[in-house]
Amino acid sequence: MKTVKAIYGLYNDPDSAQGAVDALRAAKVELRDLAIISSEPFEEYEFGRLDHRTPMPWLAALGGLMGGVSGFLLAVLTQKSYPLATGGMPIVTLWANGIITYELTMLGAILTTLFTLLVAARIPDWRAKIYDPAVSEGKILVGVVNPREESRVELKRRLSEAGAAETKEVG
Amino acid sequence: MVVDLDRCTGCEGCVVACHAENNIPTVGEKEAAIGRAMHWIRVERYYEGDFPNVKVKFQPVFCQQCDAAPCEPVCPTFASYHTNEGLNGQVYNRCIGTRYCANACPYNVRFFNFYNPVWETPLHLQLNPDVSVREVGVMEKCTFCVQRIKAAEIGAKAEKRELKDGDVQPACAQTCAPKALVFGDLSDPASEVSRLAKSNRATRLLEELGTQPKVIYLQRESWHDREKS
Amino acid sequence: MTEKSPNQISDDLLRPLFQTSWKFFALVAFLGVFVVAAFASFGYQVYTGIGVWGIRRPVFWAFDITNFVFWIGISHAGTLISAILRLANATWRRPVTRCAEVITVFALSIGAMFPIIHLGRPWLAFWLIPYGSERQIWPNFRSPLVWDFFAINTYLIGSVAFLTLPIIPDWALVRDKAKGWRKRVYSILALGWRGTPKQWSRLETAMRIMAIAIIPVAVSVHTIVSWDFAMAPVPMWHSTIFGPYFVAGAIFSGIAGLIIAMAALRKFLHLEEYLLPIHFDNLGKLLLMMSLLWFYFVLAERLTAWYGNAPSEMAVFWSTQEGSYAPLFWTMVACNFLIPFPILAIKRLRTITGTVIASLGVVVGMWLERFLIIVPSLSRKFSPYSWGTYQPTWVEITLLVGTFAGMVLLYALFSKAVPIISIWELKVGMQKKSVVSSQLSVVSYGKAQKADTPLANEAAKS
Repeated sequence: MKTVKAIYGLYNDPDSAQGAVDALRAAKVELRDLAIISSEPFEEYEFGRLDHRTPMPWLAALGGLMGGVSGFLLAVLTQKSYPLATGGMPIVTLWANGIITYELTMLGAILTTLFTLLVAARIPDWRAKIYDPAVSEGKILVGVVNPREESRVELKRRLSEAGAAETKEVG
Repeated sequence: MVVDLDRCTGCEGCVVACHAENNIPTVGEKEAAIGRAMHWIRVERYYEGDFPNVKVKFQPVFCQQCDAAPCEPVCPTFASYHTNEGLNGQVYNRCIGTRYCANACPYNVRFFNFYNPVWETPLHLQLNPDVSVREVGVMEKCTFCVQRIKAAEIGAKAEKRELKDGDVQPACAQTCAPKALVFGDLSDPASEVSRLAKSNRATRLLEELGTQPKVIYLQRESWHDREKS
Repeated sequence: MTEKSPNQISDDLLRPLFQTSWKFFALVAFLGVFVVAAFASFGYQVYTGIGVWGIRRPVFWAFDITNFVFWIGISHAGTLISAILRLANATWRRPVTRCAEVITVFALSIGAMFPIIHLGRPWLAFWLIPYGSERQIWPNFRSPLVWDFFAINTYLIGSVAFLTLPIIPDWALVRDKAKGWRKRVYSILALGWRGTPKQWSRLETAMRIMAIAIIPVAVSVHTIVSWDFAMAPVPMWHSTIFGPYFVAGAIFSGIAGLIIAMAALRKFLHLEEYLLPIHFDNLGKLLLMMSLLWFYFVLAERLTAWYGNAPSEMAVFWSTQEGSYAPLFWTMVACNFLIPFPILAIKRLRTITGTVIASLGVVVGMWLERFLIIVPSLSRKFSPYSWGTYQPTWVEITLLVGTFAGMVLLYALFSKAVPIISIWELKVGMQKKSVVSSQLSVVSYGKAQKADTPLANEAAKS
């Protein structure tokens, strides 16, 4: 993975990672420059819940609605355009069309969720980003992307003081 | 159509005629033995009583062209549908062979082409050019000789007149010597079938299922009377 | 679980991806033979005609639709375990979810092939797709088979998404630990996943939405499959019980399939420390509950049929109770209830071996149940003049064996490409619930409320 300019520390446990995040915040680092990477979600910690609000459920519901409407229209409009009587039933069978509507509602919700996940999580993404394979060894990466030249030393100090197993500079 | 069971002699001329008219293949002894014979019209035989007072009842059964046909809504490709004239149409070209219609039909009058039908020369010369030959994987059944219906309609239109009762004769009705099979327009109150349908001997097969079959069977004894006697 | 470090867990669960013994290749070759045989028989059948099967008038569906319903039923394992337990926050599910979700995807794929396999003209199966064809005709939306098409496709897409989305972080793990060609492959598969809080949060939200969505889909799928039968006026088919009956039966066979799969994985991938007796115990209890539920449904269906005494239904009823289908019927009852019930109800017998034996019985019993729903009813349809019989041919048997071999083969191949236990979810389960959590408030960056941790306060001071 290509990397950008960054300073980061690798932490062994979420408590020290939380401390590092707090330290960086105290040093007035912007949220968009803050980088936190871990190999598992840490929902119990504040840093794991940053940027946590999402309209995904509403989008999924909207996607379901659109799916349902398209399912209904598919069944009704095709039945009307080529009316073929079967078994004494009406040409437009609302009961049976309900099943198609239902299935396409659920499909719409599922596909919308899938799509919004890919967009929101920005995957697939092969642009230059901060990353360190040590994360897969269980370390938590906390750092700053594109740090200002003058704050580099200060940031590095704060990161080590928070208990980093190691600190690195890249880019 | 009206079937008079008191007239049917069980000669099965209708079966042969249907085969000839509609290009129905004979499946061979082995296939017939496991139940794959394709007789669009079949004559069912029921024995009543013990020897020496045995009676045999013959019952020709073919597609009842139900108004509320259970075979129609279940076909995924509209191969089985209800025509404007009230027949149950079978469109061979649309059939993909799910066989759902055959399972849904309570009368078991639908047949499946398990193999590609073969007519060895010179038997292929007997094929009726007015009727298609179905390929493997396609369902088929009695159509009330729709090709004859259509031919009569076209002829009547060419002569600028309406269809008369008796213009159309399906192969089975045409062949039936005792005139047990009568074909006509049930919506025409003056036709022979409408007259016969009003008979007090009239009944329908599996009426309780609600399929609204269009074939009326006439028989002198109802099972009530049979139980008593 | 003995206290393993997260890294040890990663190593254990990634080992099958990096190490392969000759036994794996032997297994693949063995299963491959049956799968190839099945494909060859299918080719033969397409070339010659459905006549090479044993179906006939009036039994127009037999092994083909039995297999279809059976495999769709097995596919309900993943949904129950993954989605319902996920929503119920049952933490014991964590090592089990991916095994279950994999079963769903593969069983569904196999099951979904049968509507194509059973066609008289399978090359025209695409006519079920609603597209504006040049024939200007659309599928018949009143047909349960078209409902099947929509339901199964929705479920398949949903299950594949439900399975593959949580795999992405594990693929990122493999990417970081692999070398050579594996690293290249998994770099692509991981889609650039890093593990930022936003990504984790979105992933978990997506999983939650899909868990909620997939449960009604699964219920609807098997209900619609059951309506293939219930919508036809065939004796003992045209019953309102079919929807719930089939869903319960599907979940029943699905759990059995899952137990067998887990036991096999435990043995062959040496996962004794991850798939614990408690998992089999819990699943065994669920299997017991489903066995009782199955028995309840069968009893309800048959009691009402017997009590109603309709002639056409009684013909079918007695053929299964005492007639020619009786041996199969009573075998089914034994396999689905009489044998599993004591094994699963008595705690001492509810061991891993015990649950596997019960599950094997259930898998056989549930296949028989599908067969006995389809064939006796079709062979005794109303007029006795048209009653018939059925006997399978070698083509149908080859196809059946091929599906089982195919399922195991797909599973084996999958376990080589993806860690069969979800590593990140397992690690989440191991996280100590933090003392700090009580002091946390949901903070949006920059607002006045800050985390009130000692470190944070110290940081704020400096």
